[in-house]
Amino acid sequence: MADAHAVETVDLHKRYEGGSDALRGLTLHVPAGSIFGFLGRNGAGKTTTIKILLGMVRPSAGRATVFGLAADDPAASVEIRRRTAFVSDEKDLYGGMTVAEMIRFTAGFFPRWRDDLEQRYLRTFELPPDRKVKALSRGMRTKLALLLSLSRGAELLVLDEPTAGLDPAMTEEVLQALVGHAAREGMTIFFSSHQIAEVEQIADAVAIIDRGRTVVSGALDDLRENFRRVQLVFDGEAPAAAFEAPGITRVRRSGRVLTVLSTAGAEPILDRARALHAVSMDVVPVTLKEIFLESVTMEE
Amino acid sequence: MLWYKSWRDTRWRFFVALGVLTLSGTGVVLIYPRVLALVPLVPSSDAGGELGQRIREIAQLSREFRGYIWAQWFRQNVRQEWTVVSALLGTGGLVAQGSTGALFTLSLPVSRNQLVAVRAAAGLAELLIVALTVALLLPIVAPVVGQRYAVTDAVAHALCMFAAGAVFFSLACLLSTSFDDPWRPLLIAVLAAAVLGACETVFRGLQPYSVFAVMSGDVYFRTGHLPWIGILASAGVSAALLFVATVNLARRDF
Repeated sequence: MADAHAVETVDLHKRYEGGSDALRGLTLHVPAGSIFGFLGRNGAGKTTTIKILLGMVRPSAGRATVFGLAADDPAASVEIRRRTAFVSDEKDLYGGMTVAEMIRFTAGFFPRWRDDLEQRYLRTFELPPDRKVKALSRGMRTKLALLLSLSRGAELLVLDEPTAGLDPAMTEEVLQALVGHAAREGMTIFFSSHQIAEVEQIADAVAIIDRGRTVVSGALDDLRENFRRVQLVFDGEAPAAAFEAPGITRVRRSGRVLTVLSTAGAEPILDRARALHAVSMDVVPVTLKEIFLESVTMEE
Repeated sequence: MLWYKSWRDTRWRFFVALGVLTLSGTGVVLIYPRVLALVPLVPSSDAGGELGQRIREIAQLSREFRGYIWAQWFRQNVRQEWTVVSALLGTGGLVAQGSTGALFTLSLPVSRNQLVAVRAAAGLAELLIVALTVALLLPIVAPVVGQRYAVTDAVAHALCMFAAGAVFFSLACLLSTSFDDPWRPLLIAVLAAAVLGACETVFRGLQPYSVFAVMSGDVYFRTGHLPWIGILASAGVSAALLFVATVNLARRDF
């Protein structure tokens, strides 16, 4: 049976030598075939998670699997990397090689290398085959890293801050290439970012992590559906305590006005507000940026 | 393909090593006529003690080209230059931080054991090529000064150099799995060689068992037999160091 999840982590911990905790019980389920946005502030644990999935860092505790294979098992890790493509945030390739050498070198490791995709992306990205990697601009290096990832016939593409340092035009080009490729090839894309707009643009599921823990996770449409801000106006002093319940992430009172943020839709709040004779009720949809900010500040 | 990457990472060090040792070896051969002219003056030297004894021994050995090459080249110059070259070729690594694209390499479907194995094999191949080239240079250049040097002697000494050099190469390889820059492994490996050399000087009885005795091919020069015990011991130490390097790399976070 095919795995429903391309990537899973359960209660994953990572403590680095020196005592800093990068991950503190991270649980994550990345559906196979999805474009999964992995959001978090700088230092939230995104890169550590990715490195654990690819066998570059060993977890201190917990479980991480990719295609159902244990990421911390050396033999399984080789198999994971055979079926996974990775683009690091630094796009750290071999500076001394030319674009053509870099492509030939990488192709040698992947029996399912796709020459047709290689040629397509060479043309699309207008990469100069004879130019040394170290002479490429950051944008061109990103495109080369993508070509090397997209052509290897991988089932999972892992990208760590793929658009970091790119101008808006280049960012758009990269995102479109990713979406187009995912649609054509049906692969899973797992990408970390703190650029909320780009996650919102291409992801169909997200996880927001903070300080090494998942604080919000799910399909983007479900999050948009469930996260609601409700503004209530009462005749007298707003009864803030009456709204403190599971699913209510924040209650702010300002005189007669009460603003309630819910992760369980607006209906339970509206029912409670009617019972308390609210004179005005407004339901406002919440953007991913607001969800992100509310999630990480809630943790604080 | 990792071979190709390893070769690209180390090729300049390889060429520098080859160049330096080739020049040094050629120089030793070409100055032989001048050394030979000075040899008759040596018995008149009244320098006493260890230094005088050493000068007289070298002068005695230098009456024959084979003895001169062993005393000046394999026993003296090689001991210093080959040690540094061996350590130099062992520094760095396919995933050392100084090596470009370390994360890219780690994301390839190869195990860390393979990374160490390919790096070590490629480096040892370079070491063997340098050893054979500089040794075989002797029979090629010797006729220029009217001398002959046996190819079998050159190959035997190359083997001794390679076996002993592999110890310092492997030590540098091991240190490179702990340090991210190439300089500390080189410095520590050379310092380790200096300490071994000092121990050999202080404890004379250890000299026959020293890695430098294997490197110079002392036994082969004097008896015509390869020092198999020394060669195998060096290979064993080298293998042990590379094994520890593999374990060390396997447990590292990147």
